[in-house]
Amino acid sequence: MNMFTGLINGMISGATPILLAALGGTLTYYAGIFNIAMEGMMLGGAFCGVLGSYYFQSWPLGILCAVLGALFMAGIFIVFSVFLKTDEFVTGIALNLFALGTTTYMLRQIFKVKGAFTGPGIQSVPPIHFPLLRDIPVLGSIFSGQNLIVYLALLSTILVWYLVFKTRFGLRLRAAGYNAACLDTSGVRTSQIRIWSLILCGLLCGLAGAYLSLGYVTLFSENMSAGRGWISLAAVILVNGNPWGIAIISLVFGFSDGLGLLLQQVLPSQFASMVPYVATLIALYFYSVQERKKKA
Amino acid sequence: MNKKLISGVAGIIVAMLLGAVIMLVQGYHPVETYAALFNYSLGDFFSLATTLRNAVPLILTGLSASVAFASGPVNLGQPGQLVMGALLATIGGLYVDLPPVLMIPFLMLLAMAGGALWSGVAALMRQWFNMSEFITTLMLNMIADFFTYWAISYPFFDNTAYSPMTPQISQNGWLPKFGEFHSSVIVMLLAFAIVWFVFTHWTAGYEWRITGQNSLFARLGGCKIDKNYTAIMLTTGALAGLAGGLVVMGGPHRFLKGIGANYAWDGVMIAMVANNGIIATLLYGLFFATLQTGALGMELITNVPSEFIQVLQAAIVLVIVAGRGYLDIFMDKAAARRKTRERTA
Repeated sequence: MNMFTGLINGMISGATPILLAALGGTLTYYAGIFNIAMEGMMLGGAFCGVLGSYYFQSWPLGILCAVLGALFMAGIFIVFSVFLKTDEFVTGIALNLFALGTTTYMLRQIFKVKGAFTGPGIQSVPPIHFPLLRDIPVLGSIFSGQNLIVYLALLSTILVWYLVFKTRFGLRLRAAGYNAACLDTSGVRTSQIRIWSLILCGLLCGLAGAYLSLGYVTLFSENMSAGRGWISLAAVILVNGNPWGIAIISLVFGFSDGLGLLLQQVLPSQFASMVPYVATLIALYFYSVQERKKKA
Repeated sequence: MNKKLISGVAGIIVAMLLGAVIMLVQGYHPVETYAALFNYSLGDFFSLATTLRNAVPLILTGLSASVAFASGPVNLGQPGQLVMGALLATIGGLYVDLPPVLMIPFLMLLAMAGGALWSGVAALMRQWFNMSEFITTLMLNMIADFFTYWAISYPFFDNTAYSPMTPQISQNGWLPKFGEFHSSVIVMLLAFAIVWFVFTHWTAGYEWRITGQNSLFARLGGCKIDKNYTAIMLTTGALAGLAGGLVVMGGPHRFLKGIGANYAWDGVMIAMVANNGIIATLLYGLFFATLQTGALGMELITNVPSEFIQVLQAAIVLVIVAGRGYLDIFMDKAAARRKTRERTA
């Protein structure tokens, strides 16, 4: 039973950053932006989270800084892709490498270390215990005692679904992706909608970054997002942006993450680390098979 | 060409000014720093030779990305293809021993085969299951990373070493050095010449370019899109693999952890900033190599961390690409105004 709850908890913690980033990605997906910069936003968030938490000695300010850091990255994306109309693909790749370079540089410049920074001064985000839920035998250790950001991710899923499908902004958001010219002629500025979608994406990626560096572990290491932004992009594509679908896919990826940790006992750790990426390929395979069936 | 040159030079200047501002904010002296940077990478014959040598993996991966992007496939798998090429060349160098005349080409072929193998996996997934190479190559990068890490930690581990690495390859497979000048540069220039010739003068290259610009037109014109797709993926994979092989054969003569560095992603950036032009890739590759080589000297002399160059590179890419679009509009407007004036006069 202990292994079971361990696996479930591993699944949840693996899924959280992917879920948050993918929710951000889905907003830009609906707005018709080819946004591949989640990786960079997450990395920027993770670094600023550690920075804020370390200097202000408080985790709420750490989360705030993480969000601000990711918003900064989103801001660069907005300036180049929306205002200067630079190719989104180029902007995204360059921004990811910019984030990697900047965080490595700042790590060296501010903390005077190479590779990774960890220290007792970093305040991590605490788990939340619910008084009554906690006492349920097995489920208690799953539903209660998770990291605060895990609950925020859950809440964000609902909010994103509501925002996209039940509000006026959501309608305009989908219109921006569906037919931008039509939206513009009806008097709503597409660029305005896209900017907001990118800002929200930055916010969610900032939370994802904060979870990586202040929740999952309490440190920052070079390139610690390790392709999670790309996996979240795959998740968005796989379910055509549906928030509930994203939640399920993220759990599958999280499960493969937890499975990898478990497999480390039998396989060399390098093969175990491959599991999430192989899982992404397998998921893409099923997606394309399904797409082909739809066409036939 | 003229327009490209202007936007390139202007972009570099603007990005470097941005870099100077960042340095000023942090309390460094920008002029001194840039002087140290260029002095260390271009100042004398030795530094120039080092810069050329550092340009080899950048230009080869850059060519790989340029050819792929210009022909359609979004092959972002250069990092994985590079390490797989390096691994295969290393394995060849460990278990085969031939005289250098045969050994060096043999290892290069192995390296290219390694890269082509890895891009071939992505090509197969696309051809059989219609899986987009954009995501699959990215995932294959991570898998190749862990796979090579495993390979140098267990089966090919050098028992005398303290960190994961293979033993050195047979000396017959080492690329010769002529004084400071490294022969990997010759291999790179040869590869560049072949790619340039094929891409601009051969039927195959013409078909690739047309497919990249308008695949429907190419298909109606009689190009075999699927066959070309596979050929492009294999070629670009082989180029990235060759980059990895040359790094091993020319540098540490073994596969160390992290040998791929950031070469391949830098190559992708070079392709983007070069707008997938073959000659522009060579030039920007040389420029990026200059920055990276000079980074070390910059750190030694002025204490600016060498990682600063990574930031500067990304800034250069963004500024040039954004500026290019704007400059085009601006120059077209100017040309149109000139024309109307001539007509009315």
